[in-house]
Amino acid sequence: MDIRGIDLFIVVAYLVAIPIFGVYFKRYVHTEQDYFLAGKMLPWWVISMSIIGTNIGAYDYMGAAGGAYRFGLAQANYEWIGAIPAMILSALLFVPYYWKAGVYTVPEFLGKRYNTAVRVIEAILWGSFLACVLGVFFWASGLMLNEYLGLPIEIALIATALIVGIYTITGGLAAVAMTDVVQLLVMFIGGIALTILGLWTVGGWEGMIQKIIPSHPDHFKLFLPLDNPTYPWAGMIFGLAIVLSPAWWCCHQAIIQRTLGARGEWDAKAGMLFAAFPKMFIPMLVVLPGLLTLALNPNLVGADMDKAFPWLIKNLLPAGLAGLVFAAFMAALISSVDSTLNSAATLWTRDIYQRFLVKKASDKHYLNVGRILTFAFLIWAIIFAPVTKKFPGIYVAMQTLLSIFQGPTFAITLLGIYWKRATQWGGLAGLIGGVCISTTLFLFEKWSFLYVAWWSFCGSIVINIIISLITRPEPTDKLQGLVYGLVMKDKTLQEILSKRAKGETNE
Amino acid sequence: MSNWFRNLPLFWALLIAVAGFLGMLIWAWFRPKAYIYQDAPDQRWWRDLRIWASLLMLIQIALYVVFGT
Repeated sequence: MDIRGIDLFIVVAYLVAIPIFGVYFKRYVHTEQDYFLAGKMLPWWVISMSIIGTNIGAYDYMGAAGGAYRFGLAQANYEWIGAIPAMILSALLFVPYYWKAGVYTVPEFLGKRYNTAVRVIEAILWGSFLACVLGVFFWASGLMLNEYLGLPIEIALIATALIVGIYTITGGLAAVAMTDVVQLLVMFIGGIALTILGLWTVGGWEGMIQKIIPSHPDHFKLFLPLDNPTYPWAGMIFGLAIVLSPAWWCCHQAIIQRTLGARGEWDAKAGMLFAAFPKMFIPMLVVLPGLLTLALNPNLVGADMDKAFPWLIKNLLPAGLAGLVFAAFMAALISSVDSTLNSAATLWTRDIYQRFLVKKASDKHYLNVGRILTFAFLIWAIIFAPVTKKFPGIYVAMQTLLSIFQGPTFAITLLGIYWKRATQWGGLAGLIGGVCISTTLFLFEKWSFLYVAWWSFCGSIVINIIISLITRPEPTDKLQGLVYGLVMKDKTLQEILSKRAKGETNE
Repeated sequence: MSNWFRNLPLFWALLIAVAGFLGMLIWAWFRPKAYIYQDAPDQRWWRDLRIWASLLMLIQIALYVVFGT
């Protein structure tokens, strides 16, 4: 890639400024809660921007632009029907109960609601997933620095670890969330600049439509026919919108952790809900570039379609803007890496180390363990990253693993919060049974992951209900604050739970 | 059953989606006011999260009506 002085200056300035800004928040970290939950001081606007920074990664830029090049506007379903309703559901139903429970992780909540076995299974699944995804993110980051700055790949990986590690290890969630705010602004500025320049080049929105529609008549439709192999409308609605998307927005540790660090219940809910507004504009940054590339160059075929985004940067942007858009691309990557790193350390510290290895140590001890684990995951990511090169399908495999347990996880969490009759054995059987169903459908029926998610969700719900109805109900004391409706009309209990969540009481 | 499903016109996708958005909007308004404002610094109208949810759903309906099929 051609690199000019002004572009290099912008990229280097950005990569130096981010860790310096992040390290500033070290001064606020004195306890385990400060480190993992930002001392429960995050306001709603920081939470919302951090959620979107975490959600949008470099793979979204590449994959979504490539998807838009192939299938058109249907790719935007992942940002619209595949996100916005689920974010409302998460904000108004799930987040308040996680927050009230005063937990650090989603598996910890499931452990309180059901039993330790459910917590351990969930913690191992999510912990392994996050650790593997870190390696993939690191490799992508190393490749970008190698391609753009010409750094050898090993040096690029270490540079990534230094940039992210310095502030994630020292400042914890507060540093991660605050840097995410800056990264999101950089992403939007770079992305909007690219989109405006692209639209101007193709003759505006109308010009783009006129260039694409004659050869691709379905490229401006959100729903595609059922015989479309990748985006059939039924899969989009039943698999994506009803199961996978709520599973992501209501149960994903890296997403939910920001809301657990909120300064109050309202901020936790508002943070998740307000994130839906910038989320609606994400197709402008990741889908429109794919369509613009198609309008400018309809000759990309096969795997080259996935290079729609780099093609646009290379062929469209003048000096200065290329550096800005590259910085936006790196911002997307780094904001996902730091969140994944922090969440992986939180899960392993709280749900494995603190639960099974050292149960009653001092606050300072767990703070140090959190920092050591964050460092260990950095080293792991540097070592594991090159492995992803040898197995190009590893990211797809990770996503497949995610879809295998996402449907059952969402099913037991939904029933756990909405149905007080769900018992610990119902939850455990629902989780294990749902994972068995999705694994069977994948291995023997070779179904699309969208349909697998739907049927494993339904199966998990049915199993949970049947087993719950034939086992002894949970005592009401155990369910207070964990199940919708039980505390709605009891103001005193609401206040006690609110104080407990803020750490003001041990009740 | 499978053939019947496959022969459904694309318009049904739009109908199901819009019904889902409207359902979510109505569901949000069934949340009690005290639950929505829990822990809020004050009770100003713009802090009512049901209004935020409604705005989001109305924008989604508009986008899917324009680009859905």
